[in-house]
Amino acid sequence: MTADGLGGSTEAEAGLVFSCRGASVELPHQHGARHVLDDISLELRRGEILTIVGPSGTGKTTLLRLLGGLTPATRGAVRVNGALIDGPPAGVIIVFQDYSHALLQWRTVGRNVAFGLEGRLPRGEIEERVRDALRLVRLEAHSDDYPWQLSGGMQQRVQIARALALRPAVLLMDEPFAALDAMTKATLQDELLQVREQTGSSVVFVTHDIEEAVYLGDRVAVITGVPGRIKRTVTVDLPKPREQLVTRQLPKFLELRYLLHQAIGHGGHA
Amino acid sequence: MRELERLLARINWLGLGTIALAFALWEISLRAGFAQYQNLPTPSAIAIGLVEIMSNGQLLADTSHTLLSVLVGWLAAVAIGVVLGLMLGASPMLRRYSLASIEVLRPMPGIAFAPVALLLFGFSLQMELMVIILPALWPVLIATMGAVMGVHARLFEVGRTFRLSRGEILRKIMLPAALPGVLVGARLSMTLALVLAVVAEMVGNPAGLGYAVVREQQAMRPELVFAYVAAIGALGMILNAALTGAVNLLFPAASGRLREVGA
Repeated sequence: MTADGLGGSTEAEAGLVFSCRGASVELPHQHGARHVLDDISLELRRGEILTIVGPSGTGKTTLLRLLGGLTPATRGAVRVNGALIDGPPAGVIIVFQDYSHALLQWRTVGRNVAFGLEGRLPRGEIEERVRDALRLVRLEAHSDDYPWQLSGGMQQRVQIARALALRPAVLLMDEPFAALDAMTKATLQDELLQVREQTGSSVVFVTHDIEEAVYLGDRVAVITGVPGRIKRTVTVDLPKPREQLVTRQLPKFLELRYLLHQAIGHGGHA
Repeated sequence: MRELERLLARINWLGLGTIALAFALWEISLRAGFAQYQNLPTPSAIAIGLVEIMSNGQLLADTSHTLLSVLVGWLAAVAIGVVLGLMLGASPMLRRYSLASIEVLRPMPGIAFAPVALLLFGFSLQMELMVIILPALWPVLIATMGAVMGVHARLFEVGRTFRLSRGEILRKIMLPAALPGVLVGARLSMTLALVLAVVAEMVGNPAGLGYAVVREQQAMRPELVFAYVAAIGALGMILNAALTGAVNLLFPAASGRLREVGA
């Protein structure tokens, strides 16, 4: 226990928000347990965007839920700021892929964004934070609309604003743009990068889109197999700020994209 | 003026014409002797009867009794149904223990309880309320339970990631998410409550509109029997319209969602 405590504090000092050490997850299934994640070791540094990319069915969502405290580790240790995770940690918010289920359809956009703040802050401050969060995702004009009156991309921005209103230290994003069209997706990617610049939040971003992983990430972790394992982690040394047209044409971008395709097993010589 | 125009445009003239035609045929066939029933009054006699019970205050007294019983019984049924429905919807264990009993009790025709209630409470308001409440709570209970079970699991995870307490999850997620379902159950239950009140007044509690129908029948005043039946129908329509209006006023978002799903 002492060693753990010391390990924790040095990790915190080293600027690690999350650290997974040999974490495995088995989920209950019809016939006994299903092994979803195996021996996951990875870390999230303060202020970085870590993207996790891999094919479907490799446990990406489970990994995110593990970090978000919704699913416990069967083996191994998951720490947030040096402390073992026991339920959803403070300052860590999950942004779910299915925005239509994750939003409170009976509340207006503004009241959805206020959801996490009610009863925790004075009214005036809540209003201010809701306004700021809606401005970050450029939805100031839609505060009084209901979610079902908005397009998919706008609804997902509402969910992101709701998370941002809490000023979280960490955003855990589960394929948030997967259900959106290419143009909306590009816009939201750039918004996310801007928001990160303005708020300094750390982000774990799960996706099955390799280009998205490279474009957004400071580092990319590749997860493959059943049960899912981290196959390799790549540092993305692309210049910032990133720009949709320029960045995606850089030789370095193409090189990373090729590397990740190979790591995932495309091309036959992984 | 615009308001009046819109109101006039909403009136279904053809539908009203059909009703007028039916009344006219009824009136003519009785007067001309095509149809011969000793105790079937003409529509004009019923209208005169209605005016009579309206002007002598009898209708108001009978209606206020029935209205009060319906409202008290319905509110009690909704309260009990919502609480039990929430508990059953939220707890799989509770469902395992009690769903079998519910499936036995629920299909029983509520009217069958009337003699039991009569035995227990005699000719009284308690008897009438029991006859209303027991059958009227099922639609609310079943609808609430279904609505709670139908709340998407993601919403509870949203509650957890925002670190809400159990009470907050109940208040801010479960109740509002289940509200449209609860309202559907409450509306079904309102219709049922009126039917049951009238039956209870016919067989048990000697008061209100149901008793009035029987009273006038025994007094050999068929035109008043029909007048009271018409009053019961009107009360049903008014109650339904009032409830719909109240729901739209109190829960605009929920009624918007109901319209979305076409309920």
